[in-house]
Amino acid sequence: MAKMMYRDAVVSTIAEEMARDENVVCLGEDIVGGMGTPGGPEAIGGIWSTSTGLFGKFGADRMIDTPISESAIMGAAAGLALSGKRPIAELMFADFIGVSLDQIWNQLAKFRYMFGGKTKCPAVIRMAYGAGYNAAAQHSQAVHQILTGMPGLKVVMPTTPADVKGLLRTAIRDDDPVIFLEHKALYGVSGEVPDDPDYMIPFGHARLSRAGQDVTIVSTGLLLGFCEAVADKLAAEGIGCDVIDLRTTSPLDEEAILDSVEVTGRLIVVDEAPPRCSLGADICALVAEKAFASLKAPPLSVNPPHTPIPFARELESAYLPSVDKIEAAVRKVLSYR
Amino acid sequence: MANIRPFCMPKWGIEMTEGTIAEWMVNEGDAFTKGQVLCLIETAKITNEVEAEYDAVLKRLLTPASDEAHPVGALLGVFADADTTDAEVDEFIAGFKPAETSVAAKGGGGSAPAPAPAAAPAAAAPARTPTKIVTNRAISPEALKLAEAEGVDIEPIAGSGRNGRITYQDVVQALRPERAQSFKGSAQLVEDTAQAFASPLARRIAAQHGIALGAIKGTGARGRISKADVLALVKPTTAATPVFGAPFELVANQPTVQPFDKVRKVVAKRLTEAKQTIPHFYLRVSAAVDDLMALRKTANLVLGTKASINDYIVKAVALTLVKHPDVNVQVHGDSVHSFPHADVAIAVASPKGLVTPIVRQADRMHIAQIAATTRALIDKAQAGKLGYEDMDGGTFSVSNLGMFGIENFDAIINPPQGAILAVGGVNRVAVEAEGGDIAFESRIQLTMSVDHRAIDGALGAQFLQTLKGLLEAPEGLFA
Repeated sequence: MAKMMYRDAVVSTIAEEMARDENVVCLGEDIVGGMGTPGGPEAIGGIWSTSTGLFGKFGADRMIDTPISESAIMGAAAGLALSGKRPIAELMFADFIGVSLDQIWNQLAKFRYMFGGKTKCPAVIRMAYGAGYNAAAQHSQAVHQILTGMPGLKVVMPTTPADVKGLLRTAIRDDDPVIFLEHKALYGVSGEVPDDPDYMIPFGHARLSRAGQDVTIVSTGLLLGFCEAVADKLAAEGIGCDVIDLRTTSPLDEEAILDSVEVTGRLIVVDEAPPRCSLGADICALVAEKAFASLKAPPLSVNPPHTPIPFARELESAYLPSVDKIEAAVRKVLSYR
Repeated sequence: MANIRPFCMPKWGIEMTEGTIAEWMVNEGDAFTKGQVLCLIETAKITNEVEAEYDAVLKRLLTPASDEAHPVGALLGVFADADTTDAEVDEFIAGFKPAETSVAAKGGGGSAPAPAPAAAPAAAAPARTPTKIVTNRAISPEALKLAEAEGVDIEPIAGSGRNGRITYQDVVQALRPERAQSFKGSAQLVEDTAQAFASPLARRIAAQHGIALGAIKGTGARGRISKADVLALVKPTTAATPVFGAPFELVANQPTVQPFDKVRKVVAKRLTEAKQTIPHFYLRVSAAVDDLMALRKTANLVLGTKASINDYIVKAVALTLVKHPDVNVQVHGDSVHSFPHADVAIAVASPKGLVTPIVRQADRMHIAQIAATTRALIDKAQAGKLGYEDMDGGTFSVSNLGMFGIENFDAIINPPQGAILAVGGVNRVAVEAEGGDIAFESRIQLTMSVDHRAIDGALGAQFLQTLKGLLEAPEGLFA
């Protein structure tokens, strides 16, 4: 085990996989970090420091700086993947999927299906998402609910450095397009990471981060830490929370959620995206459909309001689900009569 | 005040007037949880388990298990919360009035019920008076109707709908008293360190039983180890492998002594009584069922049902019973009760033993209805959920062992019914065809056990003649 930051887990996993398989190539905006500046390549570093040192190790053929054209990045990744490479494309902000959506949604996600399984498309699309950085409505969004709803894509949302390691490796070695969502606010979080060069976490396999028998809390990403704080506080009062880190939203670990709710009878989903047609709504519906007989209270989803993300710091923190809001939601479900 | 509730002799059927407590499964002072079996109550017809409807403590046990019968409504015990004092329980017993006025309360020091109960047993809710509500609050029509009917003050309600609109659920919540919550607390967190691909619950169960996940091959989605995979390993079977060629040796052959449980005791008593006191005689006949089997295939397809051969036999029996009301009878002491409609009991092997739930008025049902009814009764029997009302009465029984390859057998009459039909399996038999040739046809053997006190040989024979006719010309089942 080694202690490392979330962003370092990203870099080291990419480095290990590029060294292992020469077909792995990276492309994205400013991933070389300084190309064209007086200091030269790597003088400045990419904005998230998630590709530090890779250019020096693997060179310009495998670390491709692209123009500022997200549709070109995704189109190139799609072509690389079809022609036998394993591209890792980076979107600097997940919000930019809008301009590249045709490449992702109508091309990458559908090749394998439309070619009758005769081709595969092993692309990974990494993107930084999430609020809390005071980056306003176009640079703070959680886009998983849009991508999770698209058949043909696998959607990964790691929470810990260890999960970054295990899930990113699985994503790179997977033969289908994988969306890899990295939360900006987690890049600096440290944690123990297994040294095993083949450490992989299968998709659709949730992680239980707190075990309890009174309420099930489902989340992933930045908000999972908030849920753990609530669970620890309530545990002291004798109230047990099962905190489930989904890890991947597609495929979804339905079994882990239903098994837990069948024990607790109560469900809270904490989701960073707005409420309508959200992951929270989806899981509440799943539980209402398949665990209705076990429920002791209506399932509840905690989301931000149905508005764009505000810029002002105070409004942004009022917008996001917080520890207090999650605790209030848990208590509301627990006090259902 | 503490939550004190009476436990009285239940009334399971219209004919039930009294019952005896065969056995208590909880002791005085024991806490029990919802669904736990509290006691076994025996009536003239059945022994049934009584399950707790809520969590509480058996504060007072007034009627120990005995052969003494207690009338329906008699106070058998007192349930309350753990913190209830003896004085409160005494007060409650003194003030208890059974629901049926003709039934006296027992216990409580043997004194007559006190005229004025000091404490009302049910938590007396404040009287609610319907009121007309005039408000600017956004509220759903059903919610408003409910709030008005129950006289709920809607102003303090924080609506959960959009912009604080009050929903029906909000009003229901306001009406319900705050519930005392009990929580189960945290559980042991089993770290996901092993690389075994297992669901959290599977991992938890494996840790509880000390099972290593690494060795398990998952059968869940994407090869994941599921709860079922782990549970399959919880009880490993240890069957000794026989060694070929080893000399034969006698081994210990000690019996496992299994005393009858209460249900078995009742079954044993009834069957012995029936076989010893009812003068049985037996009538045998066989019917050609090729047409019936062909018709069943078509009819099931057309009707979208999965009716079994037995369902068709039940239907035929019911129609025949209506044509022969003298066979559609119950025997009660010195009198015979004959019925206009056929309540046909079907014998079902359940985990608790033989049970005979009843398809009521089977003559009025079409085949798909009979199939649905028998399916439901069999499922209930397998789950051990049959109630008194499912088995009470009946005018005739059908017992079918054909699925086990039995050709024919003699059944014991199920009192107070007048007869029972034992149905064997369908067999291909050689018969003489026209012109002296040999042909094969499907035949089913029927044996009717008849109570000679009520039904004579000729009557029974005519009944079987009609039944045979119906089975051999099965269009009549749809007439």
